Amino acid sequence: MNELVLQLEGLEKSFGALRATCDVSLDVEHGEIHALIGPNGAGKTTLVRQIYGSETSDAGVVKLRGEVMNGLTVPQRVARGIGRSFQISNVLMDFTVLQNAILAEQARLGESFRFFRPAFDDQALIDGASVMLDRVGLGDRAATPVADLAHGERRLLELALALAAEPALLLLDEPMAGAGSEETKHMIEIIGGLKSRAGILLIEHDMDAVFQLADRVTVLVEGGVIASGPPDSISADSAVREAYLGSEEHA
Amino acid sequence: MDALKILLDGANRNRTLFVLLSAFALFPIYTGIADLPFWNDLAMRIMLLGMAAMGLNLVLGYGGMVSFGHAAFVGVGAYCVGISQYYGLYNGWIHIMMALGACGALGLVIGYLSLRTSGIYFIMITLAFAQMLFFLFVSLEQFGGDDGMSIDRAEFIIIDLWEPLRLYYLIWAALTLSSILLMFIVRSRFGVVLQAIKGNESRVEAMGLAPLPFKITGYVISAMICGLAGALFASWQEYVSPDIMHWTRSGELMIIIILGGLGTLSGPLLGAVAFLLLEEFLPELMHFVAPNYAENWMIIFGPILIAVVLFARGGLLGLVRQLSGGRQ
Repeated sequence: MNELVLQLEGLEKSFGALRATCDVSLDVEHGEIHALIGPNGAGKTTLVRQIYGSETSDAGVVKLRGEVMNGLTVPQRVARGIGRSFQISNVLMDFTVLQNAILAEQARLGESFRFFRPAFDDQALIDGASVMLDRVGLGDRAATPVADLAHGERRLLELALALAAEPALLLLDEPMAGAGSEETKHMIEIIGGLKSRAGILLIEHDMDAVFQLADRVTVLVEGGVIASGPPDSISADSAVREAYLGSEEHA
Repeated sequence: MDALKILLDGANRNRTLFVLLSAFALFPIYTGIADLPFWNDLAMRIMLLGMAAMGLNLVLGYGGMVSFGHAAFVGVGAYCVGISQYYGLYNGWIHIMMALGACGALGLVIGYLSLRTSGIYFIMITLAFAQMLFFLFVSLEQFGGDDGMSIDRAEFIIIDLWEPLRLYYLIWAALTLSSILLMFIVRSRFGVVLQAIKGNESRVEAMGLAPLPFKITGYVISAMICGLAGALFASWQEYVSPDIMHWTRSGELMIIIILGGLGTLSGPLLGAVAFLLLEEFLPELMHFVAPNYAENWMIIFGPILIAVVLFARGGLLGLVRQLSGGRQ
């Protein structure tokens, strides 16, 4: 077994009377893609937010490579090795593609309290940023303002930024959202290629993508885990079919 | 050598700023020949307000933090001069040091407390701090209270010899230094983070950077520049009263920035030129057209401001850019 990158133990979160996360325990190994699926409102994004630190947990423990993350802020967790791509592209719209990556590079280096040299002309930063962009195939779009990027390209930039700090755990919140079929194919290829770099927790509605990519699948319904295992066993699981996959077949 | 290269490159990218600074440097030659000393006075006021607006612009325009209390820093800077003189301290350099120190410390405290909030709450908290300071100085009878205190022109050792123009060039030098400092800052790694925070704070966090220290640092720098402007303002006006930190003064600084161009280096200075020229000449114009309403020049100024905001994207600097085909 590979190193456990992420361990969740008995995670809870309630919003008033709504239990968004009920007693969730799961783990992600280095080098695997663990997909988290479930119908809308199942609490997937809440769970990601709890892991990422933008939502505090009512109970339970989040561990990254064995280190407890509870109580740490988002920047602290990012610095310890959690990378996240957002459901809605969360990039700097006023900046160019390269400038987005330069900011990520200087953040990675941890040298942002500098007041003298222009950041965007810094060759060391540009080099690091270019490597980042090449990883997702955006190298030739470097000078483009983000506002002018196509949707799929913005998703790729989002991914490049999530990867910038070379995280041990990558949280991908619906990376295919809104992408066309060509873009989805490209994205699947890229995500598949990331497996060796990190453990990946993938939230995705596109079942084809999930079953192509995932080593393990966990199904979340109304905040709780109803099934977890290899993709084959999940698609054969009757409870899952009823709660989730079945309803889609009817639709 | 490196610094010179960055400076020249920055100057090339911000031509409007350096054209304005050069114009201010040469202006006294013109007023000397034409014998119009009053104009030097107006130019000094423009430079001082422009400097304060530049300071505010670092947080407002680049950092996206709508501080509605920056006149307080100008006021504290000015009172540093007044209070020092009250206690017999007349060295202008020390006044400036004190203004920088006091405003830096005050900026740190106010920034630390208020920057945890954002949006409307941040606006209200900064306004509340400014009002507190305003009423503090109103209540300090010892320093003139409501009526303020008169100030002697400070003694600036070394440049004392330049009698008539010494203050003019001191203000010019302070403005130029602040401009260059800000030019370096906004292009630096720190400045890039500040602008990123304005655009998308959660992205900055996702990169592993906690925004608060950057915001506070920006706030402190901005407060210090305003304090410097305030200290020189006191020397120029030879008088200081709480009016300098009234909340409408904070509003004026914001108007100047928006008029000139938010989040640009030369915008605040350009805005100060436009604002003070309008303030100077609109009443005269009104006096000509409708003598009874000369005091109400804001009736004309208001629509001008609205027109600039609506039609000139990026303020007057945006207009300059459009006219000059993209160059600043």
